Amino acid sequence: MILRLAIGSLGARVLTVAMTVLAIALSVMLFLGVEKVRTGAKASFADTISGTDLIVGARSGSVQLLLYSVFRIGNATNNVTWQSYQDIAARPEVDWIVPISLGDSHRQFRVMGTTVEFFDRYRYRQGRGLEVAEGAVMADLFDTVIGADVAATLGYTTGDPIIVAHGIASFAEHKDQPFRVSGILEKTGTPVDRTVIVSMEAIEAIHVDWRNGAQIPGQSTPVDVIRRMDLTPKAVTAALVGVESPLQTFALQRAINEYPEEPLLAILPGVALQELWAIVGIAETALLGVSAMVVVTALIGMMATIFSSLNERRREMAIFRAMGARPTTIMGLLVLEAVLTAAVGALIGMLLLYLGLFVAQPMIDNAFGLWLPIEAPTLRELWVLLGVVAAGAIVSLVPAVRAYRLSLADGMMVRT
Amino acid sequence: MKRAIPLCLTLLATPAFAHESREMGAHEHGVGELNIAVEGDTVAIELRAPGADIVGFEYVAESAGDRAAIDAAVATLAKPLDLFVLPAAAECSVIQASAELESDGAHEGHNHEEHAEAHDQDEHGHDDHAHDEHAAPEAGHSEFHAEYVLTCGNPGALSEITFAYFDTFENARELEVQIVTASGAQAFEVERDDPTLDLRGMF
Repeated sequence: MILRLAIGSLGARVLTVAMTVLAIALSVMLFLGVEKVRTGAKASFADTISGTDLIVGARSGSVQLLLYSVFRIGNATNNVTWQSYQDIAARPEVDWIVPISLGDSHRQFRVMGTTVEFFDRYRYRQGRGLEVAEGAVMADLFDTVIGADVAATLGYTTGDPIIVAHGIASFAEHKDQPFRVSGILEKTGTPVDRTVIVSMEAIEAIHVDWRNGAQIPGQSTPVDVIRRMDLTPKAVTAALVGVESPLQTFALQRAINEYPEEPLLAILPGVALQELWAIVGIAETALLGVSAMVVVTALIGMMATIFSSLNERRREMAIFRAMGARPTTIMGLLVLEAVLTAAVGALIGMLLLYLGLFVAQPMIDNAFGLWLPIEAPTLRELWVLLGVVAAGAIVSLVPAVRAYRLSLADGMMVRT
Repeated sequence: MKRAIPLCLTLLATPAFAHESREMGAHEHGVGELNIAVEGDTVAIELRAPGADIVGFEYVAESAGDRAAIDAAVATLAKPLDLFVLPAAAECSVIQASAELESDGAHEGHNHEEHAEAHDQDEHGHDDHAHDEHAAPEAGHSEFHAEYVLTCGNPGALSEITFAYFDTFENARELEVQIVTASGAQAFEVERDDPTLDLRGMF
């Protein structure tokens, strides 16, 4: 009975009610959307590198080592000598080890020297491997494999020549030794997309004629001479390590951290990612706070419309009272109307979110490398919806109590 | 003999001897480290906790009481399942447990350890270390170090760890826990106020 009344009364003011529902729906969509992006970003971030048990570099901080070795942000404080690298590689706990050498660039992209094994060992998004979209991995000394973003931004296809610049932001280019794009990787959503990958030997080769950051004047070793040179690296910037068994991870980490010949640092990538996220994650809390405020604003908007409707409905309320409705019935009617409005708003918000996700998911993955899974709502999201409905009921109590107190006297004495 | 010590120190500080590397680990009272690695049904755990957390002091044991406290602590640390309580359904049992006291500033090969098996230290060796301590007066930190290997009949039931550790050692405030499983590594901070760790989602 009261439900029918409530629905009928809402139907009578369909435009105002529709606006309120829309406001609540949009705010709920925003809130849940932010929540989705937040968890998606966190998961994508944590999945930047998987399958690697330890990252080894010169001793600095774990976040810094992670930043330069995985995200190519910032620079290494020091390199790891080739001898130490060999020592670690020879340890029994080590299943595999892949060296990384950084420090050069091509246009705005970092160049990374590594071995072909990198393509097998680097894993992201729960064990997904790198796939070559076009061409093949490096076979020749002057071959490069480029990430999807590099290819897209610079318009490269396989076979194109490229020149590697010395340093990160420098105009000194290694012009003597032009490289050739041998392969382009599939888009991964990881920093690999923005990396030009060459072999470790190639990094040595382009520095043959360089001393102290400048080319030795007049000296230019012909390419065929370089090819015959011993291009064993003198140092690596970092190394990705896989252990034989997880049980040995901590022992190996400690052994590397206490390596007496050179100050080294071994980090657990998962733990370092967590540390880094703890820094980056402050923004997510702010974002969540802002979207929660939007929901609150929408609910207060609903309260305002109920208040203003009270004025229009004075007579209606008075007639209900005159016909024998108790004040609590009037109050219940108002609260029920608000709950219905909030519930419909929340549901529509949810639907809009899934619709939006469905449409935008591939675009977001393409543009930002952010994978937002479309899943059934989590328990947390359902609680949010329930919370919105409950909050709707609570804010409607304020006008409802007013109606409860005034319903009879106010409606009967119509002032002109 | 006493005059010879500064001379020895001077010699140590000269570049000729500087080849020896010097370093010291970070050390925070109240905060211990717990590393847990799981593979199949084997769980390897290692604990590093400041002496201050476990016995309340970090100087080299002087009195019989100090030594008794260290022995008692080592004995307690050798029973991991009383400190880190695992669900009974996981059916874990201890295969191997060892605990020892390790002092800082004595890193150059002759760290005086207090092994669970052999904790009668010969007094002569002790004297030598006392000199070491003088050489680095700030280095008076000590750490308990324990290693455990457990085997669990039903590792899938490892859903949480309850840290009775905090009840046993009143000075411990926090444990920094790192867990490595086949699915990756994660870190947690377990504090005295909330001494449980949820392991679901780690396997």
